[in-house]
Amino acid sequence: MKTKLLFPHSCRVIGWFLFVAGILFTMSILTTHYEPTWLEFRVPVLAGDEIFGTDRTWFTTRKNNLADELASLLFLVGGLLVAFSREKTEDEYIARIRLESLVWATYVNYGLLLFAILFVYDMSFYYVMLFNLFTLLIFFIIRFRLVLWGAKKAMNYEK
Amino acid sequence: MKNSVRVERAILQITQEELAKKVGVTRQTIHALENGKYVPSTVLALKIAFVCGKLLDEIFQLDPEDWID
Repeated sequence: MKTKLLFPHSCRVIGWFLFVAGILFTMSILTTHYEPTWLEFRVPVLAGDEIFGTDRTWFTTRKNNLADELASLLFLVGGLLVAFSREKTEDEYIARIRLESLVWATYVNYGLLLFAILFVYDMSFYYVMLFNLFTLLIFFIIRFRLVLWGAKKAMNYEK
Repeated sequence: MKNSVRVERAILQITQEELAKKVGVTRQTIHALENGKYVPSTVLALKIAFVCGKLLDEIFQLDPEDWID
């Protein structure tokens, strides 16, 4: 089946490598708050202000540590490659599982976000929003891989 | 939708893997299809019928519940 908009199968290995590196890097930043100084650069800023501040700046530059940007980049690019690389044989049944998993992940992701909107406040909600940037991909990958694994496991070899 | 792919495969004495290769899908697809968990596209159904040397409706038949939305 010729499925458009998917990456080649070979991208999945690269994706897993970047994805795991992104997760480990993110976890280390979150737990130790360590940001390597060699990642400090002057970066272009399209728009920026202090959190909950009022002075917004446009089209300027600032010194910034790129650790969190790098972690997010690894996580998102890796996650996208893992989620949307073709299977070895990408057929219509797998395409259906892919579509169902995407719908399922979207419902779960936004269901949890709705719950958080109603019951989580202040900085905790900020963290929910932060995690929510990545959870759709995570839910999709987990669901898609689990269903594929289940389908493979369910097969009884019949001659 | 009912199908007799398993029977046709047995007549031809080919495995799920062999049929999957002939029609260009994975073995999971043939397995899901034989167990009624997946309704194939028209193209795949026609390919399976071709490989089995049968007409489409000799292998795939509508279920009464297919008429209920």
